[in-house]
Amino acid sequence: MSDPTVFLVDDDAAIRDALSLLISLKGLRTAVFASAESFLETYSPDWRGCLLTDLQMPGMHGLELQAALVQRQVELPVVVLTAYGDVATARAALKNGAADFLEKPVDDDVLIDVLRNAIRLDEERHRVIAERTDTQERLNRLTPREREVLNLLAEGLQHRDIAERLQISPRTVEVYKARMMEKLHVRSLAEVIRLGA
Amino acid sequence: MSQSIATVASERGFARQPRIDGRGLALAGAYLVLYVVLDWLSFIQPVLKLGITPWNPNTGLMLAFLLVYGPRWAPVTALGVLAAEVLIRGTPAGWLVLICASAAIACGYAALATLLRRWGVPKLIESTAGAARLVVAVAVTTLVVATSYVLLFMAAGALPVEAVGGSIARYWVGDFNGILTFTPLLLLVGRWRELRQVLRNRLGLIALQFAAVALTMWLIFGLAPNDELRLFYPLFLPVIWVTLQWGVPGAMLSTLAVQIGLVIAVQNQPGAPPLVDLQFLLLTLILTALLLGAVVTERANALERVAMREAEQRVLLATAPDAVLTVHPSGEIRSANPAAHGLFGPLASATGSRTLRTILPAIRLDRESGRATLEGRRCDGATFPAEIAWARLTAPTNDDYLVIVRDVSQRQRAENRLREREMALSRAMRFAVAGELASALAHELNQPITALVSYLQAAEILAAPLASQDQRLQGTLGKATHEAIRASEVLRRLRDFYRGGAVKRERLELNLFCATFTATFQERLRRAGAELLVDIPEALPRIEADATQLEIVLHNLLSNAIDAVSQQPPASRHIVLSGGHGAGGVTLRVEDSGPGIAADVAAKLFEPFVTSKVDGMGLGLAISRSLLRGQGGELSYEPSVASGGACFIVRIPLHPVPATDA
Repeated sequence: MSDPTVFLVDDDAAIRDALSLLISLKGLRTAVFASAESFLETYSPDWRGCLLTDLQMPGMHGLELQAALVQRQVELPVVVLTAYGDVATARAALKNGAADFLEKPVDDDVLIDVLRNAIRLDEERHRVIAERTDTQERLNRLTPREREVLNLLAEGLQHRDIAERLQISPRTVEVYKARMMEKLHVRSLAEVIRLGA
Repeated sequence: MSQSIATVASERGFARQPRIDGRGLALAGAYLVLYVVLDWLSFIQPVLKLGITPWNPNTGLMLAFLLVYGPRWAPVTALGVLAAEVLIRGTPAGWLVLICASAAIACGYAALATLLRRWGVPKLIESTAGAARLVVAVAVTTLVVATSYVLLFMAAGALPVEAVGGSIARYWVGDFNGILTFTPLLLLVGRWRELRQVLRNRLGLIALQFAAVALTMWLIFGLAPNDELRLFYPLFLPVIWVTLQWGVPGAMLSTLAVQIGLVIAVQNQPGAPPLVDLQFLLLTLILTALLLGAVVTERANALERVAMREAEQRVLLATAPDAVLTVHPSGEIRSANPAAHGLFGPLASATGSRTLRTILPAIRLDRESGRATLEGRRCDGATFPAEIAWARLTAPTNDDYLVIVRDVSQRQRAENRLREREMALSRAMRFAVAGELASALAHELNQPITALVSYLQAAEILAAPLASQDQRLQGTLGKATHEAIRASEVLRRLRDFYRGGAVKRERLELNLFCATFTATFQERLRRAGAELLVDIPEALPRIEADATQLEIVLHNLLSNAIDAVSQQPPASRHIVLSGGHGAGGVTLRVEDSGPGIAADVAAKLFEPFVTSKVDGMGLGLAISRSLLRGQGGELSYEPSVASGGACFIVRIPLHPVPATDA
């Protein structure tokens, strides 16, 4: 997993240079691309951070880049840079799931706020993904019997009912429950139910 | 009547070319028979039994034959003379003389026929000058022929020297009278049907006139058989009467009647004076009748022409769309055509006629002729712009002016409308150009300003550690950033100002709209030699759009199309403006047969400052697309399949959505 980076796509060399300088001075890593095509070519799934892209570019348009990312299931947050007055395009970009839009020329504070928000979104997304992966891994460690106990507990059944349902003794249910809680690294019944739901 | 008879005779007769075929032979045979018979009938009082007689209608037949069928038939006429000589008179002077005489006669009259054909014979006898020329030509030719004939026979010893003078005179008067009484009549035979019609309609009069001629003849020869010469002159009266009535044909017929009567009288009355004496008297009668007939015919023709001209002018005045007035120099209106009454109201009333000043207050007839644009005044006092032209009539007894007045208010209104429309269009066009320029400029300048602002903000961060050395650095960078942002704001306002132009929506019928619009292009199309086909179905739904903006778009597209086809050869300069409609919108296509658009140019066709024209700004298509998008429409390009050139497609939505800010 790499550090969060602002991937800047703009056909104007001066804007690339100036914005990347400003963003790096504000303490964020940047990587610049002169066109949407070159970004798509070099994109790697382990990239973290956000995409800051111009809209009016020769060749692939910013909105087309956004559509291409959606199609490839790349969930990198997108911030679009618009020329002024281009409200219609900005609206379209937001509708297609852009995180935010910035109007040229951009104020540095606004720029950094927007970019940090986007990066935070990306981090949040990855945290959720990571958590979900972790839980899944822990659940995978349970035996089928332990799993059954977990599901019935989540349904809200008492130990005695579970024992009856599974045709085992309440004592054995207790054992399964304790072993399951240990494997899932949970201490309370509430946490158990949340995982099993 | 006499004119038309003579004219048609000429058209029928002279147009025919001689042919030596079955018909030609039949014609020659008929002529020969007729000629010999006529010669035989008129073989009266000859000199020494030679062909020297005082009346030769056969010569008249010969000339008529040569005139109608052409001098190429001269050999046939020579044969005719020879045959007549041999059959009627034998060969008293030997074959050689006869052949020479026949050839001389045929040559002489063929020459005369050639000359008269060049002059145009039937026309000739319809004017006095022409009739005089005819008479002189005939007189000279017959004299030459008579002299040659007589001298030939004298040389052959068939004629004593002392008889030469009298023989020439006798022969000459015979041929002359024969031609003048007979030839013109024969030329009229082609119009036999017309003549019969005239005869039938005026039978009573003609019978009366014939009776008058016959009665006079009877008076002369019946009452005083041996004293005809003294009573000859009363013959002039019926002949002149007939001539005055019928012109040249009447003159010819009456003199022929007199001639025949004379011949019969002389033949049947033993004590009568020699025919040759009478023939000289008749000569005067024939000449008088012919010249008088020419005068009458000429006058009749002139009257007919005048009547025709007058009828034409009456129709012209009655149907003229312009007001036509004749005006006395004092300003009094002498006459006015129906259009004048329609334009000014009644021009004459019980209180007297209106003067020119009351209907055209500003007019000054200070020149012989002129033109002016003035104010006209109707009878109800309403005024209108009038274009007038006047000229003084040139008739010797009349110095009135002819004044023509045209109401040009319609035209002026139309011109004004057109001018206003053009001005509105050019205003809108200028505004659109400025808007597109502002937009393009703002976009292009905003890029460096964006970089500049970011650089300055970066510089502020970089300069932060130096703030302790000089406080002003931070402040200066801050101000620089502020100014750069302000510049950007100015551009934004400039752009918004031109973009803010409100779209005026009106209901448009494309059919009508395109017809009006393309009408303004006719002149340019004509100059470019291009052909525009407009194919807008009447069934197209009506749209709501800004007419001026749509006109700018179509104006740009059509101008481009004309420029494109102008590079093609004249035969393949076609432009098609067609319409159609599909889901939710109407489309207009402008296709041209020009060279089309190169693929690399086509890719960025609608960007500002892209052009393939030497003197183009490259804004037309950019503006057109912006304007259409402003109305919720679209402009696109594709190569034309049908014509091989360019095809631009204008889409206009049926239900306009709020303008997208493109």
